[in-house]
Formats: sequence, C-alpha cells, structure tokens
Amino acid sequence: MIIRPPIIALILFLVPSIVWAQDHDTHAGHNMDMPAMVGDSLVWRMPPMDMSMPMLPGMESSVPVTRAFLPAAGMDPMQFPEARPFEVMNVADGETIHLEAGLVRRTLGNQTLVMMGYNGQYPGPVLRVQKDARVNVHFVNNITMPTTVHWHGLRLDDYRFDGIPGISQAPVETGESFLYELNFPDAGLYWYHPHMREDVQQDLGLYGNMLVDPLTDDYYAPVNREVTFVLDDLLLDANGIIPYGESAPTHALMGRFGNVMLVNGVTNYSLDVSEGEVVRFYMTNVANSRTFNVVFGGAPIKIVASDVSKYEREQTSGSVVIAPAERYIVDVLFEEAGVIEVTNSVQAIDHFRGIFYPYVKSLATVNVSESPVGESHAEAFQTLRTNDDVIDDIDRFRPFFDKAPDHELELTVRVNDLPLSIMRMMEIDTLYVPPMEWNDAMPMMNWLSTGEQVEWILRDVNTGLESMDIDWTFQKDDVVKIRLFNTPKSFHPMNHPFHIHGQRFLVTNIDGVENPNLVWKDTAIIPVGSTVDLLVDMSNPGKWMAHCHIAEHLHAGMMLGFEVTEAP
Amino acid sequence: MRTFQFFLVLAVLLVTGLTIPATPASATLPADPTCMAPDNDPDPPVYYAIDLVTTRKVPGARLATGTGNVTFAHSPFGVALTPEGEYAYSLAISMEKVRLKEGQVLDAWVTTPSLDQVVHIGRLNASLATSGNVAWNKFLVVISLEDADSEPGARWTGPIVARGMSRSGLMHTMAGHGPFQTEPCSVYGYR
Repeated sequence: MIIRPPIIALILFLVPSIVWAQDHDTHAGHNMDMPAMVGDSLVWRMPPMDMSMPMLPGMESSVPVTRAFLPAAGMDPMQFPEARPFEVMNVADGETIHLEAGLVRRTLGNQTLVMMGYNGQYPGPVLRVQKDARVNVHFVNNITMPTTVHWHGLRLDDYRFDGIPGISQAPVETGESFLYELNFPDAGLYWYHPHMREDVQQDLGLYGNMLVDPLTDDYYAPVNREVTFVLDDLLLDANGIIPYGESAPTHALMGRFGNVMLVNGVTNYSLDVSEGEVVRFYMTNVANSRTFNVVFGGAPIKIVASDVSKYEREQTSGSVVIAPAERYIVDVLFEEAGVIEVTNSVQAIDHFRGIFYPYVKSLATVNVSESPVGESHAEAFQTLRTNDDVIDDIDRFRPFFDKAPDHELELTVRVNDLPLSIMRMMEIDTLYVPPMEWNDAMPMMNWLSTGEQVEWILRDVNTGLESMDIDWTFQKDDVVKIRLFNTPKSFHPMNHPFHIHGQRFLVTNIDGVENPNLVWKDTAIIPVGSTVDLLVDMSNPGKWMAHCHIAEHLHAGMMLGFEVTEAP
Repeated sequence: MRTFQFFLVLAVLLVTGLTIPATPASATLPADPTCMAPDNDPDPPVYYAIDLVTTRKVPGARLATGTGNVTFAHSPFGVALTPEGEYAYSLAISMEKVRLKEGQVLDAWVTTPSLDQVVHIGRLNASLATSGNVAWNKFLVVISLEDADSEPGARWTGPIVARGMSRSGLMHTMAGHGPFQTEPCSVYGYR
C-alpha cells in the first residue's frame, strides 16, 4: 500500500495530539491500580499527568507526608446549595453589605463537587463601587475552616481590615463574623480572597472582583461592552478533586497547577458579541500557581491598565501574560464574524525528553455575529492614548528611579527530607531552568513535595534575615526601592508573583533595562535569574506584609512583614 | 540522540566556517561606554548569558571571546511572550579579541537548532557589539565574518568566527540514562 505524503502529514499531525490528549487519564500506564471511588475521597491518589511520560522508578507507591484533606470529605454533596453565577452588586458610598463564605455544590462536566463560594456564587459577587467610596462588609464564615478576607490591591486606610491573620486581625472561626471597613482610593480592578489556606479555600472558589469606577466618564476610551474575566484552574481526576494536604499544602515546589481551565468559574464560558464590537475585559488570575498567556484568537488587543492604574501609554499586544493575583484591563476588537477560541498558549517543557512543546488549552469562546455593532468604537480602539494623569502622578517619583536600592531580597528555597529519588532527579534536571514555569512539568515530584519539606525564602541580602524574621520599618510617604533577585542556583528555582499589601509600586527596571511604560502595580512577576527593581510608594501607615502569591509558596514561608509609621 | 544532533549542527557550522578564509587586521576596540548601564542598575541575568566560543578557524579570531546577554524584550507584562508562547528576548552581542582586516565586518545571526530558520541580529559596530530580538526558546548564535560592502542576506555567507547556544540548549533527554536506563531512546524518537 502506498501512503501518500498528505496522509503521512496527517498521521504525524495526529499522533502528538493523541499523546498530549492523554494527560487527564488514569494511571494504568504507570502500573498504579487506583481503588474504585465515587465522589470526593480522602485516599491519596496520584495526580493526573502525561501518560507518555515514564514514572521515576520507585515513585509508584509514594504519597505526600501529610494526610489527605478535603473540607467536605464524606459529606453528601446534595446537602449543599447549588452555586449560581455571580451577580454584580452596585454598592453605594457608606453602604454595608453582607458577604458569606460557605460550602456549595458545583457541577463541572459530569462531576458533582463540593466547593466553596461567597454568597453561594461562582465567582463571588462583583462589588462595583465609585472611586473614593467607603463601604462596610459584614462577613460571615460558614465554611468548615477558619478564614479571613484580604482585599487585594486596595490601599486601605486601616490595616486592621487587610485580612492578615496574626497581623491585622484574628482568624474568623466557623460561624463567626467580622466587619471590614473598606475604602477605594484608586480606580481599577481589584479582587478579594481568603488569606488562610488559600491553597484550599481560594482554589475551591473563594474569590471575587471589586470594580472601582473612575470619577470621570472619559477615564477610559469608550467600548461597547465590559466583562469580568476571571482565570483559574482546578486539579481533577475521574474521582473528583485531588485532595489537599491537611497539615501543609502539597505541591510546595511548583504550586498546584490545575488540569481543568476555568473562566468565571466554568469550563465553557462563552460570550456573544456583534461584528465590530470592542469589548473591555477585566482580567484577574486567581489560580494558585499558573501564569496564563491569553490569546483572543488573533483579535487585536489593547492593553489599557493593570493592578492599580492605567499605563502611561496604551499599547497593543498579541496576548496577555498574567501571573497569579495580577489584573489587566484590556480592550479587544472583534472585527470579523465567526467563532473565536480564547486560549492559554504557552510552550511547556517535557523534562524527560528535554524539549519545549506547544501547550494550548481552550479557555472560552467568543461568538461574533454577522450583525454589525450599533455604535462603532473601532476608531477609539485604534487610538493609543497617552494618559497624562498617570504620567503626572508618576513624575514626582522619577527623581528616585536611579537611587540605590534601600533593600535587596534574594528569592530562594531550602528543602529537607524529600525522597532521595526526587533530590537526585532535580539535581540532574536543573542544568537548565526556565525563566517561567508555564505548566506542571513534573506532577509526581511536585505533588510529593509538601510545605513541611520545602521552605521558600525571602532573604534580606544586607542582614541575612529571612522571611518573617525580616522586620522593615518605613515612614509614610517614603519612596523605597526594593531590588529582588530570583536566584537560579537554588534547589528548584521558580518564578514568583511578588505581592505587596497596602501600597503601590512601579516596576522601574528589569535586568538593567528601564521600563519605558510604567503602571502602578501591587503584584509583579519575578522570573528566574532576573533582578527586578520595585519603587514602592509607602502611602499607608500600618502593619503589612509582602509575599509570593503562589499559594503553596506563601504557606511554605515566602513572606515578610513590614510597618509603615506615621510621618513625624 | 539529541547529543548527536548537537554535534552534527556544530560540525555543519564548522565546515561552513572553513569555506571562506580571512586575514587579520585592526585591533580590538574598547567597549562603548554609552552602552554601559549606570552603576545602580542591575545587570542582565548571568545565568542566561550565552558564551560565544571561537571556532579557532578564522585568522585574527582564533582567540576570540564573546557574550550574548539575554533580557526580555519590552512588554507591558514584564515577561515578554509571543502569542505562540515563545519567549521574546532582546539579545545584546559583544565580541572581544577579534582583529578585522579592512573591508571585513562581523554579522550576528540566530538560528534554530535544526538550522531551518535564520534571523540576522545585526552587524557588529566598531566596538564589536550589536543587538536585536529573538523569539525562540532554543537557539544558536552565530558570528560570521562578512564583506563590509555587501548587505546581509538571508543567512551568513562568510566563515563562522564564533558560536554559542541559548541556555535552554542544556536540556537533554533522560531516555536511556540514569534512573531511566530501561527507557530505550528509540521509543522516544531518538536514534
């Protein structure tokens, strides 16, 4: 039989697809016989992984050193209310709203799961407020674990409402409540989430947006539609959610990457728009560890704003790179009718074969109808605005750009008591470490590493103090340069989304290259091997913290505290 | 085997480099101070710097050394990525210990490990430096000796003075090695 070249090409195209499509399968190929289980189970079971990747010898029977944990293990999912899609709460200045964390029932695909939700919604309700508003939140904890609420990115007047257990408040125990007093000094997109066992609570659905409207109508360019776009992932197999660690998180080396992508809490998010429509996406990454590279099927993207402000100048981009806890406000023009697949498009690493390979996952669908949009904002979209208000605001900080760093941090890791096979494998495999980890390329080794064996470290280069032993003090209105170096020489280097509470900062310099287009941030990526300068506006007195926003890294120690005192 | 492919690539480069002879001439110039970062600025990542190693085949460049400094191309996100997920880098090339004859110049190129795509980074200036962009995760850097009167073409035509590989070139297959001794390389597409 003669196989024609097109057929050979088709086979070559299909074979890798078949191989990579197996990454959600069970583990017959790894000689692991999984017990028959229905629903959530507290039996450790190996995380889903690429079936074409051979198992490291001796690992088949290994499990994490901590016990398996699921908040609703053994409970009938039907006893919990079915979660409903999020609602937008328009909250007026001076108003008090009710927010309740609880267990909810979710259906993802053909699986019924017990997850968590604020006010029974996925994601939690969008709190839409006017800039400079003051709002009270009466929070009630009805999950089975202590929790708090952190209002990510808000420069709160009073640190006691920042939600940090042990620093700003006591944990809110099950059945208890807490009154948060919030203020919203900056327009833009923010989010709220727990600050206790985020690796569990946030992963199971405790997150929601806050959208702070500007005071002027022309703050942003006009668009036809605004949507929130919350990116997440969840680690599932055929038996439900892979359990968490009870006393400490699993996945402490790389963070817990999910294998199921979620947008606004669902796996099949879709949006219907008209041809020529300009849509403003308010994007938030709430994943534990995954950094996304979001592509809108080739539709043009305009980058408008990030965490705490607009950019000095709008600019175009082919994709949106968004790390955990970051936010981006982007406008997308849908010029032609058709179905557009929104994807996470990265190059993953196959450590076994030593290669990069395309790793593209569908996130959402945009259906562009042939009926033209009523009012076209295409011209405004094509115009890249210069934001003089942002430039003017930043101007008073420019004299500080060239100052020597006030503090220098080295980001590193220390491990102990990991299985010998992991230790040896990691040493062999770290001849090359990438600047970013885009997926869990070593699921078994990552899963086996817990917060009891892995300690992620922020080391003060000048004092040698580490993480929570660091005790920096600043005065209100200090302008502080913090230089972070993510050393590539540690046991397992990895990128870190670094978050500073209660303040705002500029990323002024990366690896000696000045940033030509600034934006106020509260979270920034620190890639492996890179040196990043943050210029922090210490605008808010109080006791705050800074940490890596990979949930498992935070719980493995990668945090520090600092205080901002009132100016004399 | 990847190792075999790597050496095959190097062999091709070396053979190509032998095709056009060159003769020594002018002395190496000092680095351009305007290109140097202020003292307070951090340096490019040492870890990802690319050593440019002489082929020792070109007269006047047998002792040549060089570096390719890799930083992220400008991006609103800090980390620059293409829509396909490849890193977008700025590549700053600098060479030392090269003596050029009148009418000779050095060109910097990047190419994929399989040499199927080539991009001209730039022509080295009097300080033996140039810079450009590359959007591949794994690539080779090639410094070739060219005729100053001819514009760079689709790929180098002169002998190769030095070459190097991105840090990612250190990735290798585990098949057949160490704990994976029982995994035959051929099963994974390697010969």
